[in-house]
Amino acid sequence: MRAALRWACGLVLVVALAALAAHDTLAPAVGAAADTAAASPAPRVTTEKNTCLDCHRGLEGRLSAPTKDFSQDIHAVRGLGCAGCHGGNPRDPEMSAMDPEKGFKPAPAKKEVAEMCASCHANAEYMKHFNPQPYIFSMAEFRTSVHCKKIEEGDPKVATCTNCHGVHGILPPRDPRSPVHPSNVAFTCAKCHNAEYMKGRTVPTNQLALWRASVHGHALLEKGELSAPACNDCHGNHGARPPRTRDISLVCGNCHGREGELFAQSKVKETLEFEGKRGCVTCHSNHDVKPPTDAMIGFDGDGVCGRCHTPDSPGARAAAIIVPGFHGFKARIARADSLLIVAERLGMEIESGREMLKQANDHLVGLRATLHSFSLEPIQAALAEGSGLADRAEVDARAALRDWRNRRIGMALSLVVIVALIALLVAWIRGMERPTA
Amino acid sequence: MTGGVRAWLEERLGLEALRHVAEKKDVPVHRHTFWYYWGGMTLFLFGIQVATGILLLLYYRASADEAYESVRFIMTRVSFGWLIRSIHSWAANLMIGAAMIHMFSAFLMKAYRSPRELTWLTGMALLGLSLAFGFSGYLLPWNQLAFFATKVGIDITGAVPMVGEFLARFLRGGEHITGGTLTRFFGFHVAVLPALATAGLVLHVYLVQRHGMSLPPSVEDAGRPVPRMKFVPHFLLRDAVGWLAALGMLALLSALFPWELGLKADPYASAPAGIKPEWYFAWMFQTLRMLPSHIAGIEGELIGVLGIGLGAMVWLASPFLDDPRGRGRRARLMSALGVVALVYIVGFTLLVYRGPKP
Repeated sequence: MRAALRWACGLVLVVALAALAAHDTLAPAVGAAADTAAASPAPRVTTEKNTCLDCHRGLEGRLSAPTKDFSQDIHAVRGLGCAGCHGGNPRDPEMSAMDPEKGFKPAPAKKEVAEMCASCHANAEYMKHFNPQPYIFSMAEFRTSVHCKKIEEGDPKVATCTNCHGVHGILPPRDPRSPVHPSNVAFTCAKCHNAEYMKGRTVPTNQLALWRASVHGHALLEKGELSAPACNDCHGNHGARPPRTRDISLVCGNCHGREGELFAQSKVKETLEFEGKRGCVTCHSNHDVKPPTDAMIGFDGDGVCGRCHTPDSPGARAAAIIVPGFHGFKARIARADSLLIVAERLGMEIESGREMLKQANDHLVGLRATLHSFSLEPIQAALAEGSGLADRAEVDARAALRDWRNRRIGMALSLVVIVALIALLVAWIRGMERPTA
Repeated sequence: MTGGVRAWLEERLGLEALRHVAEKKDVPVHRHTFWYYWGGMTLFLFGIQVATGILLLLYYRASADEAYESVRFIMTRVSFGWLIRSIHSWAANLMIGAAMIHMFSAFLMKAYRSPRELTWLTGMALLGLSLAFGFSGYLLPWNQLAFFATKVGIDITGAVPMVGEFLARFLRGGEHITGGTLTRFFGFHVAVLPALATAGLVLHVYLVQRHGMSLPPSVEDAGRPVPRMKFVPHFLLRDAVGWLAALGMLALLSALFPWELGLKADPYASAPAGIKPEWYFAWMFQTLRMLPSHIAGIEGELIGVLGIGLGAMVWLASPFLDDPRGRGRRARLMSALGVVALVYIVGFTLLVYRGPKP
């Protein structure tokens, strides 16, 4: 009995020492975790059975709908379960799991959705658990949107986060199946921005059709250029609203940097603002932006200058200088190019001419941007420099063609000499071999 | 004064012996005499190659960074550089063409019969060296077409059993075609091959001189005495007419079809569409292209390379396989072999340029 007691005491002592040692080892880790949790709670990653799904799968209608696509939802993929948004106890298989007293939150009202999403997505510290360079949602930005303002006014037919991103099957924006993937954004916007849904409102509803036919829509949908702008690139996404008239050139300038910069510094911008015209849109339109052509420069045909300028205005007088110079420059490039092609086909080396023509073409591209300065001086300077390069390319091409002709003449002369020598040799041989009397 | 110089040279060089040889040398005149001129034509074009090659060497730089630019410089900035380069390139092709005509005429006239076996062998060696000149020179401008054609050529060399892999590595100077390959090919082109060619040429010309021109069996069998023409000046003057005609042809080709430079070689670019080797390798290329990938479980390319190798060995050994008199069944068989080889080479070459695209 005494021996048993000694054994029991010894065992208790060993367990106590082991517990103490374990406490010493674990304490720093627990402390660190507590520090992190204080700054930002670590994600509640679900690795165990989710009883929410077990029950809701067996239900019908809207009660089972959340389970349908949840397995591919980015939240589920990243280990977040239903409780991540709705709270409650996912380990409890009974109805008590959804006890509001245990933190359960039912589906939020429309005006509560953004705040609910923001509780995680606006928390940079928390979001960095999932991505070292996370997108941080801003409620402040969302409040600038027409959508948020309407929601706050109690309008029930306005979009919040879930209307664009989905609810229980949310995919990351880079997933081509996501409704907010660049190639799908316009169609997602059009779910609401259509004639039927917007009935009774003043919002235009033809944007999708116009955008699809535009250079931007074509680039994104037909060519698959994901950097081409859809609705959100000009209007903003979470802070979506029509750009202010004076901001349009800045919006366009986000992509068309040089043009936007020159236009912003031009007097034309001020004048257009003064007249209440919408910057870039005045010449290029907005949703149905067509590929810009050189025919837009001037008063004739497709020229857009005449939309604002009268034929006797200072703008028209400047155009009378710029337009012929511009088209003359293009004609110089075309002439040099055709001559270089001819020389190349004749087998001549034309690399230096080609290099100059390439530079001239670069100048032409630059000149098209410079036109947005609406200032005669820089345009004329660019014209002079580019035309000079095109002329030098033409000189090179002509020199190559002259060289080619000279080679022909040289060849003909050498052939004459060679044939004459052959004739002399033949005559010599015959003379030498003629039988003598 | 002139007589004094002549005497001085005579005393030191023994020119009298040379003059004696020149005066003594003659050439048989018969209905096949025309084919005797092709050896001299090949030699003349070789001379053009040497002269234009030396001129190109004044500006050419053999490195991957500078080769293409230096050839462009030659063609655009150096006076008559375009002409020198075009003549060099065209003369190379004409020389190989002339050498092939010379070889086939010698074969079909059975000029390789005893005691001219070594003349045949040295001639074949010179043809091989000419092909090596063409192959190594083709890469030197370091343009896209040359780069990939050389790659294809070396890859085919790699298919030779036993030594192929070593040969390919040796030619490339590693696993891939690089600037090192260019330097290596340049070395072969301007040092190794000219040295070997000069030695081979001296031996070949000496053997021709020693044994004289061969008579075809049909002329020998006629039983009539064959008239002869003095080599100097009669045959030499006729040679000169041919050389002048070749010079005119070179002027014509260089002016009308200047040799293109194309794009600079880019090892990371994809091979240009329809890449093919120079025309003198085309028949081999077409043979390998037409073979199925496997024949009786053996790689088609390997069988092709072995077949071409075997054919070349038989061709080389013709003097020892043929009837020494050039008559009889064996001689007829060898003549038929020559005709078949000629038709095969011409036909398969045409297939590359005129046939259906693979």
